[in-house]
Amino acid sequence: MEIKIRHNGIDHKATVQVVKETLWVHYKGRTFAVEARASSRKSRKAGAGVSSDKVFAPMPGKVIKIFVNLGQEIEKGQAILVMEAMKMEYTLKAELSGKIAQIECCIEDQVVLGKMLVKIEPTAGSTAKSAG
Amino acid sequence: MKKFKRIAIANRGEVAVRIIRACEEMGIETVLLHSDADINTRAYRIATKTICIGSAETTKSYLNIPANIEGALASGAEAIHPGFGFLSENADFADACDKAGIIFIGPSAKTIRELGDKVHCRELAKKAGLPLVPGYEGENQEVSHMLKEAENIGLPVIVKAAAGGGGRGMKLVSSMKEARELIESAQREALSSFGSSKVFIEKYLDHAKHIEFQIFGDSTGQVIHYFDRECSVQRRHQKIIEEATSPSLTDELRRQMGEAAVAIAQLGKYKGAGTVEFLLQDGKFYLLEVNTRLQVEHPVTEMVMGVDLVKAQILTAQGEFVFNSHQLRIPHGHSIECRIYAENPYLGGVPSTGKLGKVEWPEGPGRRYECGFDEGDEITPYYDSMIAKVIVWDESRSRAIQKMVYVLKDSVIFGVQTNIPYLIKILNHSEFVNGTMTTRFVETYFKDPIVLPELSEVEKRLVEKALQQSRGGLVGISPWQSFWRGI
Repeated sequence: MEIKIRHNGIDHKATVQVVKETLWVHYKGRTFAVEARASSRKSRKAGAGVSSDKVFAPMPGKVIKIFVNLGQEIEKGQAILVMEAMKMEYTLKAELSGKIAQIECCIEDQVVLGKMLVKIEPTAGSTAKSAG
Repeated sequence: MKKFKRIAIANRGEVAVRIIRACEEMGIETVLLHSDADINTRAYRIATKTICIGSAETTKSYLNIPANIEGALASGAEAIHPGFGFLSENADFADACDKAGIIFIGPSAKTIRELGDKVHCRELAKKAGLPLVPGYEGENQEVSHMLKEAENIGLPVIVKAAAGGGGRGMKLVSSMKEARELIESAQREALSSFGSSKVFIEKYLDHAKHIEFQIFGDSTGQVIHYFDRECSVQRRHQKIIEEATSPSLTDELRRQMGEAAVAIAQLGKYKGAGTVEFLLQDGKFYLLEVNTRLQVEHPVTEMVMGVDLVKAQILTAQGEFVFNSHQLRIPHGHSIECRIYAENPYLGGVPSTGKLGKVEWPEGPGRRYECGFDEGDEITPYYDSMIAKVIVWDESRSRAIQKMVYVLKDSVIFGVQTNIPYLIKILNHSEFVNGTMTTRFVETYFKDPIVLPELSEVEKRLVEKALQQSRGGLVGISPWQSFWRGI
């Protein structure tokens, strides 16, 4: 669908479409997506990946290797597990130092986007920084 | 000399479409040998016939030799085009085709073994006196032994799949600490992508350019080259942007490398389309590998040389392709290809899957789109994330870059995130514009995910308007509904 608005006296045209509850907009050479259900201010789904004390699946795919055990002490940047999607391997790393508190996946598991895979109990003093 | 009536395609996505289009023009019927996950793709819709050969997992379908052979036989196809990736460089598959009485469109199984297997190829090149990157290509694949060899060569080294290509199963090792895990990972990826876990190690040249020559052997055994491409823009050893010809070669270098490429192809009795890859560093070139198949980036060569490599492959397989010795082969203008990956550029390129919404490519002179999917198709997590290729041609490199940036901005792909914003940033980078980029260009300047820009005031207003209109269309009673009710 083509839409047009007038802003400060100038016309702006865009191509838009709702695909599975996400609104896609192509305007001036850029495509962006926002949640179609929520208010317009809220832009796209929260970034998955390694975020603070939880490791999320950044994509749908298969868990093919887990390097850590429950209760194991880990360093910031240490490899936690390997996922495979579209024939490529992705290593997910810890964003903070701590102890493995929870492992919510097994090797060979097919997981969906955003699934919590591993939870880390941060060492005191290690600050959790949220990712993008 | 026998004209084919029907060709089977042992591949998927945009390359399957490319092959089907060539066959259509030549009056040849096509049979798509596909997995059950690929029903909603363009190749499935346009092929004359389709045969499902297995489930989504590549080992059960696209890498399954008996299933592909059975499918081709059942459909009555006389030849198989393997495309690129999957079984395209698998000598056992070429043998199996032979045995079943089907023509494999590509070089002979023997040639694939000699040149295609990276390890054999290096041995052959050594005999021919071609310059090689130092490395280990032995049979002993024990990780502990590989670690020792890596140490001998000296870090950084690169681990590659012996039967590989396209960046699969390729790992850069820069410290011994991570070496074991990376070698094991390379072996796993090699096994799942190429059916063999065999890998080899090579010294990593840290400011080299990737230059390759398109070679072709006709039906009479004559081998020539169709000049060069540069593919230095790579991420995780996977090409992103390719161009023909390379902005980095002097006439003399181009002549020497072209001769070396033809020499090794002749040594392997090459028939059909192939590529000889080189690394170029400090004015010296080294043989990297020979790919015994069509390349993903073959369109840029087609654009500057005015050839159709897929048709030439089919004609060669039919035994009727002979070079015209009176025809001058000179590259004309400049061509660039961008690979469109379904991935999220704001999350470091993690795959983005889902149902495709609107897909629109802006038409115009010197633009070419190779696309495997249309609106409503599903991008699944089972296969490579490359969903399309955008190719442009213009008179000079700078104009081609300008055209590519415009065309990418004007293309619409809804439903999945793509690397288009990332490509535009690369195309605008001074090192790319100057043509001085090396294979480390991406990791040097584009290591981090690009930042998602905040929505501008205008964009927010557009979102509001779009949501209003789409809600109106969904819950409100449209004039059409009441019109039909009235009948």
